[in-house]
Amino acid sequence: MKIIWGVLILGLGSAAFAEQDESLEVRTVVQKEEVVVADDGSTERRLVPAETVIPGEQVFYTITFRNVGAEPVENVVITNPIAAELRYVDGSAFGPGTEVQFSVDGGRTFAAAADLTVTEDGESRPATAEDFTHIRWKLSSDLATGSQGTARFAAVLN
Amino acid sequence: MQTANRTPLPAGWLAAALLAAVSAAPTSAVAAGTAAGTVIENTATVDFNLNGTDLTLTSNTTTLTVAERIDVVVTLQSPQVLVAASDTNRALLFTVTNTGNGSEAFTLVIDSAVPGDDFDPQPAATSIYFDTDGSGDLNAGDQAYNPGVNDPVLAADASVDVFLVNDIPGTVVNGDIGRSELTAATVLGANPPGTVYAGAGDGGTDAVIGATGGSAADTGEYLVSDVAVSVVKAQAVADPFGGVQPIPGATITYTLTIEVTSTGTATAAVVNDPIPAFSTYLPNSITLNGLALTDATDADAGEFDTSGPPAIVVRLGDLTQADGVQTVEFSVTID
Repeated sequence: MKIIWGVLILGLGSAAFAEQDESLEVRTVVQKEEVVVADDGSTERRLVPAETVIPGEQVFYTITFRNVGAEPVENVVITNPIAAELRYVDGSAFGPGTEVQFSVDGGRTFAAAADLTVTEDGESRPATAEDFTHIRWKLSSDLATGSQGTARFAAVLN
Repeated sequence: MQTANRTPLPAGWLAAALLAAVSAAPTSAVAAGTAAGTVIENTATVDFNLNGTDLTLTSNTTTLTVAERIDVVVTLQSPQVLVAASDTNRALLFTVTNTGNGSEAFTLVIDSAVPGDDFDPQPAATSIYFDTDGSGDLNAGDQAYNPGVNDPVLAADASVDVFLVNDIPGTVVNGDIGRSELTAATVLGANPPGTVYAGAGDGGTDAVIGATGGSAADTGEYLVSDVAVSVVKAQAVADPFGGVQPIPGATITYTLTIEVTSTGTATAAVVNDPIPAFSTYLPNSITLNGLALTDATDADAGEFDTSGPPAIVVRLGDLTQADGVQTVEFSVTID
């Protein structure tokens, strides 16, 4: 298989980080899986930067946040929308030390996945992964100076 | 990128996400999906509290461009086509559908030497046509396919109907089956799924070969059903005065001779002959090969059927050449 990967150019530098406040850095990357076949025939999966995607293909978003200030920060909440063209992969949202919640109303309200319902043709039904519009990670403890956290999820292109 | 590298992924998380993707992935050969060239941006937001002050920051924005996924499906439309030895220009109808997410040109190829059948149909001098008039039948107005010149260009989800046209060899016998296959492949070339053609997709995006490998085929079938049946009808008039004038009161005796003139079997052959206008069936006048048949619908092979327009019906059963000539007679009187 011949695969050509382009060079991912990220908006690194000041624009990618906190602009006025020097307390937190937050960055996001999008990746996809590449299967590497070694000379001995064994395969290894690894994530590589994604710049293109085809329907049915899965991509992985990773959000990294770090306290670069001199004071601890409290009540850290990461919010990420799920693009209309993407379907959230059920169960994929993950973040150490965070509580993961979802929105089905464009980010106005959030709740645990099991507590969400949607109304369709006048009938209420449990929300499914396809209904989610936003994901939110609530840090359960303060973020100390120099500490870093991550939030991740996977999605498939429609 | 650096951030990801210094944050090892928990193996379990990736495995779970991959498993979920298998069950959630659409049957990618069916739906076209998000259009090639679509740009998907993502920006995360972080809210937090610093020394009693609520603050909000946004991350950098990632950009994903939807590449063109090339997929195609070929579907046979014709039922089994019944043919005779030495038939020419017999058509099989297929539909070629672009199941990718961008506009793509496809090359069409006929293969009539498909293994596993009884004979090889012979591709006609021009063997691939488009069903230009949409009739489902090969007609004079249908445009011939010319490889590299008018390769069909299909938008995402669009389809085109295509005929394969074959001649039937003279050597086939009844019951033989011959197959002919249509293959449609991207003009970029059929390749394993995942093959990338940089910049070859819609709007300069990459083109990626999808699950179908960018090529699809389906096979149609010809069945030799080569039965020729000859039916000849003769009449003899007898007038009441011993002459042959067709005047009122005269009797007309019809003689039908039926014969299979080729190999093969005419299955459950039936003669059904309406009584002509201005005449009346002469009761008990039906014979089959000289033997009288009753008018009633009963165990014998024929009857006078008045359930619709009056007609005589004679069932000849399965006929082959070996059965020879079958003769049915009946009479009417002129009103």
